[in-house]
Amino acid sequence: MNCPIKTQENREWLLDYAAGHLAEEQAVVVKAHVETCHECARFVEAQQLVWNALSQWEPEGITDDFDRRLYRTIEDAKPFSWINRIFGPLQPVLWRPAFPLIAACLMIVAGVLLHTPQLPVTPLDSQARVEKIEPDQVERSLDDMQMLRELDLKPQPEVPKTM
Amino acid sequence: MGASAALDYDAELMLRVKDGDGISFALLLNKYRASIIHFLYRMVQDRAISEELAQEVFLRVYRSRETYEPTAKFTTWLFRIATHLALNWLRDGRNERKQERLDETNEDAPARELADRAPSVEQQMVRQVKVLEVRRAVAALPDKQRAAVLMHKYEEMEYSQIAKVLSCSESAVKSLLFRAYETLRGRLAHMA
Repeated sequence: MNCPIKTQENREWLLDYAAGHLAEEQAVVVKAHVETCHECARFVEAQQLVWNALSQWEPEGITDDFDRRLYRTIEDAKPFSWINRIFGPLQPVLWRPAFPLIAACLMIVAGVLLHTPQLPVTPLDSQARVEKIEPDQVERSLDDMQMLRELDLKPQPEVPKTM
Repeated sequence: MGASAALDYDAELMLRVKDGDGISFALLLNKYRASIIHFLYRMVQDRAISEELAQEVFLRVYRSRETYEPTAKFTTWLFRIATHLALNWLRDGRNERKQERLDETNEDAPARELADRAPSVEQQMVRQVKVLEVRRAVAALPDKQRAAVLMHKYEEMEYSQIAKVLSCSESAVKSLLFRAYETLRGRLAHMA
């Protein structure tokens, strides 16, 4: 193979060879080259040192409540339904044992409303009744007035004077 | 073949999440939780921030379930979200205290169980110094180079997959990695 450092060809092979990640077929070729090329041998040695140094850097532990925090964030990020929006602030008040009582009250009120007899009163009927009653009243009033006038016109019987 | 089967399985799980299956989301979370948090931790080098960003990653996965299409490998999509968030965080300058924290002892880190062969205090100190050197060297890399190195080294991703995550060509990724490792070789040479 051509020298990867001098020709810039397959330079990554040296990196992977130093890391022990190179495929066996290619590793044989690189190994043969490194044994004869002083520059590549030095490169591989230095790269192995870096690789091993990086391996010493272990990551920190993960906090126990990572998942719990994540699921809480996901839950918080969920959009509210319109029911939650309306009744959300009232949730402490609307506790479950009150629901049957409220339902019973509503049913009683509904029952009372449905069974109360009501005569339908249309605007036309009420108007007609007013129209029917009004001429009678006028007629009676006129009769009364006539009678009073007649009484006024009749001569008063003379009352004998007593001494 | 194994990778292909894994691709199908993860994508299938995500499609089930799309159909409202919460258990499939839990499976994906369980499978990739550690990888994502560790990747983000090495990117931002802050435990609390890395978990905060990881929460955002999985929240975005969940929110995107309805529009999810398995056009790419699931891990590519997942790491693209994670890398995007980490690069944004770094770019926004919220890492002002990062360098200071590197100098502090990591008090919030859980105590490691070393019951079997507990190293001596001296060995522990030497190890801590070495890790600190590595962290500083990685932190000093340009953001994109750092992301490429972390995916290559710790996630064992192929160049083509890193390229898709970083939205660049495969040759660009190889150049990124070559430059990054060159810098690291220079900075960590004294650890030989």
